[in-house]
Amino acid sequence: MRLNPWEQRWQHWLDQRLPAKNQRTLAQRSIFIIPSGSGLALLVVLGLLMILGINFQNSLVYVVCFWLLALFILNILYTYRNLAGVTIKALRIEPCFAGSHAVLELELSRMPTRAHWNIVLDWSKQDHVLVELASCQSVRIQLSHLATKRGYFEPPRIKISTTYPTGLALAWSYFTPDLKGLVYPEPLQQDSALAHQGNTDNSGKILTAGGSDFNELRAYKTGDPIQRIHWAKYAQTGQLYTKSFVDYASEALWLDWNQVPTPRTEQRLSVLCAQVLELNATQAVFGLKIPGKTIEPASGEVHYEQCLKALALYGLPYE
Amino acid sequence: MGCPMNKTITYSGMLWLLAAQFVVMLPFTLYLPWWLIPIMVASVIWRLRVLKGYSAQPNALVKTLLVAMGVGGLVLSGLPFPSLDLMLAVLLLGFAFKSLEVVQLRDGVIVIFLGYLLVALHFLYTQEILAGAYGLLGMTILTGALIGIQPAVTVLNPFETVRSHLKLATLMVLQAIPLMLIIFFLAPRLPPLWSLPMMPGQTKTGISERMTPGDIADLTRSTELAFRATFKNTRPPQAQLYWRGLTLNYFDGKTWQQLPEDYDFINFKNQVKGEYALFNKNFELRGDPIEYEALYVPSGQPWLFTLTPTLNVEGDVIRAADYRVMANTITQSPALIKASSYPQTIRDTKLTHTMRHLASQLPQGSDPRTHELAQRWWRESGQNVERYIKLILHHFRTQEFYYTLSPPLLGDQNTIDAFLFDSRKGFCSHYAGSFVFLMRAVGIPARVVVGYQGGKWNEQGNYLAVYQYDAHAWVEVWQPETGWVEYDPTTAVAPSRVTEGSDAFLAQEEGLLRQSFRAVQNNLPWLSSLSQQLDALQYQWQRWVVGYDHDTQANVLRKWLGDFSITTLTLVILSVFVALGVLWGIWLGLWRKPRLTLEQSLMHELDQILAKKGFKREPAQTVGDFAQQVSSKQADLGKLLQQFAQHFESLCYNPMANKADTTQQLKRLLKQLKKAPITQLGRKIAPLKPSRISEG
Repeated sequence: MRLNPWEQRWQHWLDQRLPAKNQRTLAQRSIFIIPSGSGLALLVVLGLLMILGINFQNSLVYVVCFWLLALFILNILYTYRNLAGVTIKALRIEPCFAGSHAVLELELSRMPTRAHWNIVLDWSKQDHVLVELASCQSVRIQLSHLATKRGYFEPPRIKISTTYPTGLALAWSYFTPDLKGLVYPEPLQQDSALAHQGNTDNSGKILTAGGSDFNELRAYKTGDPIQRIHWAKYAQTGQLYTKSFVDYASEALWLDWNQVPTPRTEQRLSVLCAQVLELNATQAVFGLKIPGKTIEPASGEVHYEQCLKALALYGLPYE
Repeated sequence: MGCPMNKTITYSGMLWLLAAQFVVMLPFTLYLPWWLIPIMVASVIWRLRVLKGYSAQPNALVKTLLVAMGVGGLVLSGLPFPSLDLMLAVLLLGFAFKSLEVVQLRDGVIVIFLGYLLVALHFLYTQEILAGAYGLLGMTILTGALIGIQPAVTVLNPFETVRSHLKLATLMVLQAIPLMLIIFFLAPRLPPLWSLPMMPGQTKTGISERMTPGDIADLTRSTELAFRATFKNTRPPQAQLYWRGLTLNYFDGKTWQQLPEDYDFINFKNQVKGEYALFNKNFELRGDPIEYEALYVPSGQPWLFTLTPTLNVEGDVIRAADYRVMANTITQSPALIKASSYPQTIRDTKLTHTMRHLASQLPQGSDPRTHELAQRWWRESGQNVERYIKLILHHFRTQEFYYTLSPPLLGDQNTIDAFLFDSRKGFCSHYAGSFVFLMRAVGIPARVVVGYQGGKWNEQGNYLAVYQYDAHAWVEVWQPETGWVEYDPTTAVAPSRVTEGSDAFLAQEEGLLRQSFRAVQNNLPWLSSLSQQLDALQYQWQRWVVGYDHDTQANVLRKWLGDFSITTLTLVILSVFVALGVLWGIWLGLWRKPRLTLEQSLMHELDQILAKKGFKREPAQTVGDFAQQVSSKQADLGKLLQQFAQHFESLCYNPMANKADTTQQLKRLLKQLKKAPITQLGRKIAPLKPSRISEG
């Protein structure tokens, strides 16, 4: 998205004025207010009334005109007050997979003496929610945002706005949470070359394609790693055979970067991610080997998250 | 800036709009076709049924048909074209139909803004105090509807929702009053930008420019107000209150009119600026003035009514050679003048040729008997004007002349003869007309003056209210030594008409019902005092609100601010606005420091204490979690913190806990935490983050 210089300047100014923070109580410094579209339309109506009043020299038409003007001005204060004093707090962002939605959890709270109505939290073009803070002291809301890339999702500005009570003025503020949400690679099921799914052996053990225990010799399929071709058999028969190996679940399985049959990094990560999901679902013990990082075989939630995080942050300039 | 909200109007929003439209349209039924209201109600009900899923949204064809029918109805209703009435009726029709297609918030806003406009437009028809109060109601309901149609989270039931919206709308409308008043009093008043057609619904009221006594069989007299007047010093006696409107010079044998030719207002004004102009050399100021102020009800005519001769006057008026004061424009809003009349002044010791010609004209060959009578009396009086007049008045008094509001018709020719010799029954026009005829018959310049006589004194408000039934006609006779002198021949027949006022006089002639009503009013003094008080209120309203124009404004400002310049005025306005803004701000609590709840302040304190010791709590972390995290590094501190967490949780979530006690405990723990030592000396502990723990 390209911004023109003025917009850039405005964005920069906003960043300076409203830096990322996990909690902010909206007040004078942080609230902007302008007449809304219908507010401007009302001003046009006022102009019309003024002309009517002047031309008919009618005092009561003047009264209506000035009354609406006073109401318009008063309404600005009302709208401002509906936003001022609201405390917004970013709680957490749940990790998600690339291509799905990162969900930010926020808490809005108020001072006990003041009620707030019809506040809109808006992630432009992503998600919005309308809340009231009158019947309760605080409210938790979730906003979702599409996470397109793996790594850390840094939530953009959230616009908090209100036009309460009459819709004639628009008061708004921005809130940028100082949180990062992990975005795991998009899982990619690869059922072609390497059978990643677990097969069931005769002995009843769960087998997963792996590299440690020799299982059988089968006909070569495109995509098989070149190291596993049974050259002796080739010499004998002139046919390509592949040695296939399995990991018995009783022992640790390794998910290895090098064994993913695709040269593209992102795809590899996606495939590995799908495998991690798969294995975690079967509660298998597995380890992960990616360049620069090796996670020893284990199982359980913590391990699972650790693996996914490693995949998410692979090659990225974090920590 | 666009917000992707769902902005369709809900069922309760539609109900709000229905109420607002109804309130706005109701008063127009007095002036415009009443069937606009059922159209509006039907449109809204249709829309409501669509919302409930009972009916389908009308398609374009149906809408076109409906609009065509509505316009057809307006055409048939016989409103003049082009007129503001018709424009307003079309606007109302659109307003009524609009609710059929109110789907989006924007449509609703349009309906409400149109409503505001219509509330104002209604004041073109009437500016009565009641209309003003009704306008306030309209504003409140419209504002309520504006609040009601906004997209909202509903937590209250519909009834409570409506009540809270109405309460807020009322509050806002009332709070806007002070600011409105300031703008109202200070905003400059400009002259009309362009000339306007006749006001909608405005009919000409008040006295007519013609007087045809013989044509009227039954004079209906309205009880409507003509104007109100206040006197600066003492009030002149009732019998001296002759309020001059216009003079009628030309008589065609049946009808009296101002000038030989019928002029429209613009041409008449040209006459007044030319041949018919008043010059200062015409009169000689004499005696003490009667200073007064008069506020005229808009009549759709330019005529104003002043004491004779009014020689000093402030206001948008012009004066004519016959000493009348008239408005510079047709009065469509209350006209206010400040004037001084000098009753002892001698007017026109020299009569111009034109004026003499005008005041001597008689139709050729009409009323021979009257001419004969005039010549006889003129001889009997020895050609003395004084004696001649006395003779005529004596004749009216002693012969069988009657004052009645239901005189017989006088035919088309020789109407003066018919009155003087045959019917002898009539009201002021008959007497004034024949008196002037008798004067002119012997060559004495004379003219008919029409206006009002007397009025009703309002004790509560100290002003004189002059009603339409006070309309009167009298005469002026010119002589070289005395100039113009007024006579009232009607008093010869009905002296009480002037001394007691037409109100009492009319009572004798009115029907039984009115008489009994009057009797009730007279026997219940509080009733008449109440009605006087209400009228006094009306007067203040007319004087200070409706009649607040450029001149009044200048006077008020001069009174308050002394001689002011634009700069001082601007400064005053600005400072008033700033002061008001500050006051409002304080009142609305804009500058109030956000108050923390007890829980918030305790947490804040805890966070600060622990931050000094190197522990930072994540915003989302509960105290319990935090305590465990700290315990792993600092056992003692963690223990205290766990205690704190326990008490804190009971403060927040245990409704049975003793709040004061718990708070005491928490404060004590905070003190201990503050003093608690960090065991690993000389090294600050890096802030912990939960995410890093798992990494090991």
